[in-house]
Amino acid sequence: MHFSRREFMKSAIAASTAATVGLPLTQLAQAAAAELEKDWTWDKGVCRFCGTGCGILYASKGGRIVATKGDPKAPVNKGLNCIKGYFNGKIIYGQDRLTQPLMRMKDGKFDKKAQFVPVTWDQAMDEMERQFRRAYREKGPTGVAIFGSGQYTIQEGYVAAKLMKAGFRSNNLDPNARHCMASAVAAFMQTFGIDEPAGSYDDIEMTDSIVLWGANMAEAHPVLWSRIADHRLSNENVRLVNLTTYHNMCSDLADLEIIIKPASDLAIQNYLLREILARDAVNWDFVNKHCVFATGPYDIGYGFRPKNADKFAWAAEMGIVANEQEHTLDKYEAVAQRRQPGEKVKQANAATPAKHWLISLDDFKKGVEPYSLEFVTEVAKGDADESDESFKDKLKQLADLYCNKSRKMVSYWTMGFNQHQRGTWVNEQTYAIHLLLGKQAQPGNGAFSLTGQPSACGTAREVGTFSHRLPADMVVNNKKHRDLTEKIWRLPPNTINPVIGSHFVKIMRDLEDGSVKFAWVQVNNPWQNTANAGHWIKAAREMDNFIVVAEAYPGISAKVADLILPASMISEKWGAYGNSERRTQHWRQQVPAPGEARTDVWMMLEFSKRFKLKDVWGEQPVPGLKEEGFPEGKLPDVLAEAEKMGYGPDSTLYEVLFATPENKKIAWPDAVAKGHDNQTSSLLADGWFPEKALFEEYRQFGTGHAHDLAPFDVYHQDDVRGLKWPVVEKDGKWVETKWRFNEEYDPYVKKGAGIEFYGAADKALPSGNLDGITDATPKPLPGKAKIFFRPYASPVEQPDSDYDLWLCTGRVLEHWHSGTMTRRVPELHRAFPAAVLWIHPGDAEKRGLKHNDLVWVESRRGKIKVRVETGGRNVMPKGTVFVPWFDEGVFINKLTLDATCPISKETDYKKCAVKVYKV
Amino acid sequence: MNLSGVLVVARPDTLASVAQALSELAGVEVHQQDPASGRLVAVLEAEDVRAETELLRRVQSLPGVAMAEMVTHYFGEDAQIINELPAESQTYPGLSEDALAELNAYPS
Repeated sequence: MHFSRREFMKSAIAASTAATVGLPLTQLAQAAAAELEKDWTWDKGVCRFCGTGCGILYASKGGRIVATKGDPKAPVNKGLNCIKGYFNGKIIYGQDRLTQPLMRMKDGKFDKKAQFVPVTWDQAMDEMERQFRRAYREKGPTGVAIFGSGQYTIQEGYVAAKLMKAGFRSNNLDPNARHCMASAVAAFMQTFGIDEPAGSYDDIEMTDSIVLWGANMAEAHPVLWSRIADHRLSNENVRLVNLTTYHNMCSDLADLEIIIKPASDLAIQNYLLREILARDAVNWDFVNKHCVFATGPYDIGYGFRPKNADKFAWAAEMGIVANEQEHTLDKYEAVAQRRQPGEKVKQANAATPAKHWLISLDDFKKGVEPYSLEFVTEVAKGDADESDESFKDKLKQLADLYCNKSRKMVSYWTMGFNQHQRGTWVNEQTYAIHLLLGKQAQPGNGAFSLTGQPSACGTAREVGTFSHRLPADMVVNNKKHRDLTEKIWRLPPNTINPVIGSHFVKIMRDLEDGSVKFAWVQVNNPWQNTANAGHWIKAAREMDNFIVVAEAYPGISAKVADLILPASMISEKWGAYGNSERRTQHWRQQVPAPGEARTDVWMMLEFSKRFKLKDVWGEQPVPGLKEEGFPEGKLPDVLAEAEKMGYGPDSTLYEVLFATPENKKIAWPDAVAKGHDNQTSSLLADGWFPEKALFEEYRQFGTGHAHDLAPFDVYHQDDVRGLKWPVVEKDGKWVETKWRFNEEYDPYVKKGAGIEFYGAADKALPSGNLDGITDATPKPLPGKAKIFFRPYASPVEQPDSDYDLWLCTGRVLEHWHSGTMTRRVPELHRAFPAAVLWIHPGDAEKRGLKHNDLVWVESRRGKIKVRVETGGRNVMPKGTVFVPWFDEGVFINKLTLDATCPISKETDYKKCAVKVYKV
Repeated sequence: MNLSGVLVVARPDTLASVAQALSELAGVEVHQQDPASGRLVAVLEAEDVRAETELLRRVQSLPGVAMAEMVTHYFGEDAQIINELPAESQTYPGLSEDALAELNAYPS
């Protein structure tokens, strides 16, 4: 039978599709597929986008990606992809890919006010070095910073952390993951003493009740959503609830949709806690054995600058940022916090928001007592067109579901909780509900924090690329942790800076007030992703500083930079990501990078060759440093100690930190590559395999500390599709952990304990009542989780007569983050070419607006133009508008408010006040 | 030429009529079918990305189609497809000099 080329290709594609989704194949189809793919190389990989961590198969031929498909063997996605995942192969082929370094130059020299000109890598690195040295000389370790990423590969994050913390002795490294799940981290640490979820995605098929709290999974985690949809549609008994501030795609499948007012989730959680107690749905055996009750201060501010706010705020912002010093309680807060309306509360704990203490069960009951059905309905009902009775009935149904002892429960959340001025609290309250019910850390039972980025867990959290962290949940302001890190890294004692560095938003503020003068952006787009962006654009372009942006495409950050470095993308480098369920997945380089684009690992290693120990390990100023064993305000000179360890003052950071004798034993080429190339090794040309050697070095941190990872080569085996840590060797096999804290699954739980919350952080607490500490003696709580009481608090900026609408921002299915990659894929760009403003038709009509009108949206911080959408996938309640943030032409982060959760320092992108009017 | 392999899911009892409706759409071919699970594989062929996206939308909106997801994507030997960008994105890099000047002048 003769096939035309086209017919043949169609048969082959059909066969490949059928094989992927498990449909039977004819022999003819099999033959066609084999013929088409005969000179393709297929290899496993991971999706570049969200935190789900889907497996993708890549086919390459002649140095180009020619096809992609969902990996049928990947347990996460079982062969499926969402529309973004499906186009992973195309993101590297956009027309305006950056392929050479670009620097602002005039007359052959760097000039901040000049236009970009192509330069060589040597020119680029020479200027970077000059500018880095200038900033370091003038300001010391706190004068330089890296904006890191939740999209870093594990190896990139590890190199960045070691270069900054060990080499430059600076903790000013913070990832865009700060914007994404810092609140989840803070709540994990405070509640369990260890980071990341107990459960796994397997919970989806094992539960019978799923509640979404501020998680639009249908758009943000579509493949997990398809698993939920399958489970719901094939099981009559399964119930699905969507708590949200507007009707979204998840609502279409939900059994119960509850439209709530922004920030009222805290009130609803307290209502549920009160109901669980009132109905005696408490699992007392679980609570008595495994839990304690706790609370903390309420007067913690809103994450603005502590002082000098007036110096940098624009006139219109003043009234809002003043709340950082003093806040007037509104009528809801008065009831919720047992105070008087109109009371002015000094924000006395703005600098110590995370402190907490033990309380009694009676105090806990007293805390939740005000949260009656009536009160919470008044605070929380989000749709003005819904009756109180209807809303009350929904809350009761929600309580019925949680309190039903025969039901398994999973609660999911993402940015609705994390991007919240009380983000840590609202995360903690969900654990409180699950712990009180005893529905945690068991198959099908658990509060599960979904993550937004592909390696927010694997890199930002586990490697520790935060300004306060070291690898494996350790922190810089803990002597034991610094000692252990210095031992593994072979550093002299007191090399690591004990002062927590600047978090993401604070690095921006530091650039604005001139205290940071050199910033390096890696694998993210800070000038588009940071709220109140007008300030930061001004800071980048008008202050005396040097901004380096490593990028694949010219996004807003590249445009405000002084130097742009062209970066290799996912399939052009070796790497590993860790997803939301603790699954670490590795991939090989598939194709060469275009032009002069190079890996971020190479950029950092190459930069490290330019610095000698004598440049960085002498005495260094650190303003405000007060720590036992350190001179005041200074990091000590550790060069003498370094010499005893065999280093010389002229040893480079490359030799001391990276190309160590141990690491250089791991040679390139390596059989694990199976013929695939490695750009980093080729460019370094000194015979080692950095991505493997550094992963093996990094593993030492977690091994034996409940963060165990398998060896590099295990992840690259053909039959492995990632492994969920802790991964412990048993009878010669590397075994993953599906549920943590549960004896049946987790090797770290003591025999006979059943459940054990063994995390070690914050496990000795003073005692007190709802108002404060009464006994400062620390009481140890080994193996226990904390059930927090946290009150409702109103958002610091709310709609008023002038700015009369709530603005919420977020994602759409078709685009990833700031759109630099997905907008380069024609199919995705066409599917959603420009951001729109979703608004209730009544709100539109009131303003004389109709569908597709061009309008101004204005907040106290700026205004932008956007088109009106009154239909489509989202249905807004009156009083709330939604604008996605992927579109740099609709620069919504000029309008958003840079208030953060004071504990986690994560920005609240979900609520600020705007007005909308016709252009 | 753009080719995509699409998984179409329908209620098992309507799969035959969905397959019939699909095969009547220009540019759609029905391949493997699994009546027991209500799933079939269709291959979409379109001249350009606009037509491809439009075609998938039409498939998704056919009566009886519960889900239509792209699974396999072929674009290997056609540089024109890879580099083809719709008109509105031809102007990348996005922010014009004027827009950048406006940003720098912020908040005036």
